[in-house]
Amino acid sequence: MSNHFKKTLFFLIALVSVTFANAASHTYQNNHVNKPISITDPWIRSAPANAPALGLFLRINNHTDQELRLISAHTKGYKRIELHRTIDSHGVMKMLKQTFMPIPAKGELHLKPGSWHIMLIGPERVPSEGEQISVNLKFNDGSAKMIKASVRKGGMMKHHSIH
Amino acid sequence: MSTKIFTMIGVVILLAIVLLYSLNTHKDYKSLSSELASAQIMHNPQRPLPDFSLIDQNSQVFDNDRLQGEWSLLLFIYTHCPDVCPTELANMAMLKAHLESQNSAVIPNIVAITFDPLRDTPEVLKTYVTHFDKTFVGVSGETQQIDQLVRGLGAYYERVIYDDEGKPVTLKKHEPLPDDALEKGYIINHTARIYLISPDGQVLAGFPTPHKVDEMAGDIKRLIQAFEK
Repeated sequence: MSNHFKKTLFFLIALVSVTFANAASHTYQNNHVNKPISITDPWIRSAPANAPALGLFLRINNHTDQELRLISAHTKGYKRIELHRTIDSHGVMKMLKQTFMPIPAKGELHLKPGSWHIMLIGPERVPSEGEQISVNLKFNDGSAKMIKASVRKGGMMKHHSIH
Repeated sequence: MSTKIFTMIGVVILLAIVLLYSLNTHKDYKSLSSELASAQIMHNPQRPLPDFSLIDQNSQVFDNDRLQGEWSLLLFIYTHCPDVCPTELANMAMLKAHLESQNSAVIPNIVAITFDPLRDTPEVLKTYVTHFDKTFVGVSGETQQIDQLVRGLGAYYERVIYDDEGKPVTLKKHEPLPDDALEKGYIINHTARIYLISPDGQVLAGFPTPHKVDEMAGDIKRLIQAFEK
């Protein structure tokens, strides 16, 4: 194989690689543009069989340039579902009902124990550990996201966002 | 004259003994404070735990005597609490497992007392607290008796209902719940400190939030060592 041919082959491989890399990156960016909101790690804390309320936690990422708001959550088998936030007010833990949850532009809202959470009230049946529960989340831009939250154990109250 | 002098000397000696004893019992714990990651010393012989008589999950009396002879971690909860209380109970289950994994000589009893005896009967508490760990003890009883213990430990709670427009209304301490409160529901704002009770039935330290399991385990070990010195 002549040196000239080797160089040409190398150049062609490099060109194809760069083209593919660009295409992949472009696809990824397009995906991002097409998905203004992404949800990660949705979970419901496993609770006693007679628990009157359950907590649903997740991470919501807003990829747009504007604040988005989670306005409601829906799933079957509960008396009602509310958006809540726990705050630590001078050592007194207060649970405040929210009309919406703000997700900052290009930012994240982390729903976690001791902070923002979705409250599933009056379960017809408390789900067992390992079950997956479908929940529909609605946002103020008219969009909705169907998620599957897995039921698992959870503790460790992290630092609270408000003091 | 000599009788008076002897009496005065006797009184002075007695006062000195009392003072020395008092200083001695405080000394160890005060010097310990700087070594503790999150616990706050609450030991105060001048302010013993008030007398209380409550009912445990098996409908047995739970009073001061039940805190004698063993270490206990005492916390206040209510079962309609979706966030803070289950987090605390889950943390206590993790703490117990952590102490067991370290072959700790002492594993404190975990006692969860309800702020809400109206809804949290002994039966309700039994199902609820044993979900987190089979050995956990749930305690209910009369509001007045619970309040006595709440005051004695410097804890606090307030009941909150929602009016017809959905606005939260905090009830006053002795204000009765509206007739429809059980149906509509109410929440309780409350302190979430966890109390370490020593085998003399007195509070030794308190753990404020957030409850980090590894920090709590280390502090408990130090507190037990200081108590047993």
